[in-house]
Amino acid sequence: MKTILLLLMVATWIGELSADYGSTYQPKTHKSFLIDNAVIDVGEGQGEFLGWVAVSGGRIQAMGTADEPKPEVEERLDANGLWLTPGIIDVHSHLGDYPSPSYRAHSDGNEATSPVTAEVWAEHSVWPQDPQFPLALAGGVTVLQILPGSANLFGGRSVVLKNVWSRTVQGMKFPGAPYGLKMACGENPKRVYGSKSQSPATRMGNFAGYRKAWIDAQEYQKKWQRYEKALSEYIAWESTKRGSDYKARPSPPKRNLQMETLVGVLEGEILVHNHCYRADEMAQIIDLSREFNYQVTAFHHAVEAYKIGDLLAANNVCAAMWADWWQFKLESYDGVKSNVPMVHAAGACAIVHSDSATGIQRLNQEAAKALAAGRRLGLSLTDSDALTWLTRNAAKALGILEQTGTLASGKMADLVLWSHPPLSVYARAQVVFIDGVKHFDREQGIGPVTDFEIGQREEIF
Amino acid sequence: MKNFVLMLVLLTGSGFSLADVLIKGARLVTDNGETGEIRDLRIEGGRIVEIGVNLIATNQTRTFDAMARPITAGLIDSATTIGLAEVSGLGVSYDGEVSGDEMAAGFQVALALNSASTLIPLASNDGITRGIVVPEPGDSNFAGQSAAVRFVRGSNFLQRADNALHLYLRERDRRHAGGSRSRALSQAVDALKEAARFERQREAYDSNRLRPFEIGHDDLEALVLVLSGKMPLVVHVDRAADIRNVVDAFTAFADVRLVLAGVAEAWKVTEILLAHDIPVLINALDNLPQNFDRLGARLDQALLLSVSGVRFALMSGSPYSEFRSLTQAAGVAVAHGLAWEQALLAMTSVPAEIWGLEGLGKIELGAKADLVIWSGDPLEVSSAPVVVMVDGDWVNLETRQDLLAKRYLEVLDLETTD
Repeated sequence: MKTILLLLMVATWIGELSADYGSTYQPKTHKSFLIDNAVIDVGEGQGEFLGWVAVSGGRIQAMGTADEPKPEVEERLDANGLWLTPGIIDVHSHLGDYPSPSYRAHSDGNEATSPVTAEVWAEHSVWPQDPQFPLALAGGVTVLQILPGSANLFGGRSVVLKNVWSRTVQGMKFPGAPYGLKMACGENPKRVYGSKSQSPATRMGNFAGYRKAWIDAQEYQKKWQRYEKALSEYIAWESTKRGSDYKARPSPPKRNLQMETLVGVLEGEILVHNHCYRADEMAQIIDLSREFNYQVTAFHHAVEAYKIGDLLAANNVCAAMWADWWQFKLESYDGVKSNVPMVHAAGACAIVHSDSATGIQRLNQEAAKALAAGRRLGLSLTDSDALTWLTRNAAKALGILEQTGTLASGKMADLVLWSHPPLSVYARAQVVFIDGVKHFDREQGIGPVTDFEIGQREEIF
Repeated sequence: MKNFVLMLVLLTGSGFSLADVLIKGARLVTDNGETGEIRDLRIEGGRIVEIGVNLIATNQTRTFDAMARPITAGLIDSATTIGLAEVSGLGVSYDGEVSGDEMAAGFQVALALNSASTLIPLASNDGITRGIVVPEPGDSNFAGQSAAVRFVRGSNFLQRADNALHLYLRERDRRHAGGSRSRALSQAVDALKEAARFERQREAYDSNRLRPFEIGHDDLEALVLVLSGKMPLVVHVDRAADIRNVVDAFTAFADVRLVLAGVAEAWKVTEILLAHDIPVLINALDNLPQNFDRLGARLDQALLLSVSGVRFALMSGSPYSEFRSLTQAAGVAVAHGLAWEQALLAMTSVPAEIWGLEGLGKIELGAKADLVIWSGDPLEVSSAPVVVMVDGDWVNLETRQDLLAKRYLEVLDLETTD
């Protein structure tokens, strides 16, 4: 255990000092290897096959069925018929910003001081030593999006992390993953601000708040566009000094972090992750996105998505859902166990998410419960379909499907070997690789121990 | 899959029978979810009266063919909130705690229960036929008395109003006792001593010859039941050091029947629990170190308790939030090493014994006919009850959720195989 920790430390040490809040994550180097004799589901909903996956330089080098020729590698790992899937991706987590132990001093998820806090970034709250990260890893989670909470209309920026032990958040950041913007519908914002006799106090107040902020963002965007135009005109003039008019170098507008995030959405660089339970509100949010010409990437906690699967499909919006978490507030009262499969059957992008440090440890079981409910309803779905809710579709919603989320040559080697078929309650992640590096091995007792756990909670997965 | 639905239709179509029932070809699963002897069960007067092979149906008997599917006793959830809230959060309709009282031992959740709750069939769909509806602490460490219920909508939902008295001594419960868990425990012990004095001097009390007690009359009566062992005392506690103190404090009262709940660190003090034969209630999915009392929380706690011989029952807590399903928790415990049989017992015969539920938790001659026939391994997340029987009657499994889902299958014109 200790040597592994040291290795992890050395691996994350290297680039940690660079600036700009950028990712300093660099996977450790590893020997090329091949996992042979595994039942493989690549995460595309196409079923399983018995075969092998070759990994080199952190990437999937090649894959094949049992009888296809294998590349030369340095190490060979016999899976003995265990099940191999892409790493699980949770699009909705608060690990690190609501860590354990969960005292007020650790409650860093909701900047509930104003309904619009698009200027805050979840990564500035994430505590990398949260002992919940290793628990999620033991559940096969290799990538997760950490979001601000839902107290505000605009909660702030999310961050996408690799589930690796690191001294810093920068050392966990998924290289190149787009930022997300957390927005929230419904009960939470109106309750939090209504109780302070402040707007929003109603759902209509919520919408007035969204619209006002987007109008401000458009204004800010135009201000910068005017500046950039003036600047390029100045640069053109300055290089030749031709023409009669003397031009002064324009000075840039003052930066506004809140507006920068919103403009990032309007320019398609930041993805909108919208907490929204009710079908009617999701439909209103889609209208809002049309009014201001942006794309909603995913509705989260979309308990009523099953009512509008067609609308979601037509607008290319994913729905991230629980299997059967409901009834804890009025806007979750119409929850049904077949929500996820009904969204899938309507042709929309369905995702199973956790929003829970408990649920994130067994997202495979959550998908299995949803699948079973869909089948009981008479929907035709395969086990392989259910796996896409945790892998491919989740990667799509995070804008990282090019790099991970399915098994394909050239993609990141984020892999989980399961003890049983992955949708079984008895399935446990046996080995978890992130970028080809083994971060967890249940039998060998390999796994990260956070600083918090040292000396008081070790060896507990 | 289709014929499950078909059978349900046939069943519901025939009405819920009060007549005798013959269940043909049910698989008695014991040490795993898939194998076991296939037997017929004859049910008369709400009890199992015959278990055998090739039992013959009479004219009055309704026969149900289990088609070799697994059968278990109805499951018992040792802590639930069903009946106390249609919508649990944000104060919408939750009736499970009282504020303003420094002592709520006399508070019973029973009178608040909604026996028509739409959540009741949800429990049936998890194979749960009985449950303990538990109060939460408002402003008192003594939160009140849990109720034993039967998961059938209607007049017989409530089975027992004074199932157990619940005392909360977890980290956050210190606040009800001036800020220290030391005082929380000593106040609880003092309350029991006060109740003993009340019981000794009951006559004087009744004729107003006694100076008044600090504690209200209902509270004293509840504590008297605890002192005599007529009502168990359930202490919700997590930290190993606190478990030791709680056991020391309450085993000093000879007849108190102590049960511990939550118990994140029970695995560290199994010898003490074993020495006093104290059963525990655990949520097998609850492994987060959410506070310093719970640093020892772990997914293989059930295994460790089982190996040491401590009796334990499973509880879901608030079943429709994060910790969803009792069988899922049992399955996870099995994945972490617990014997399958032990997992089943922790939802059947062990809780029946802890709560004194006569005739429940077992499939045997004379037992109450609380039975669940499952689509597959009962602990598997993809399995569900095909039919559920409580006291010999079939339970209507249709939920409000089913109706909503069916409505939107039609609205969206989604293709189904039926």
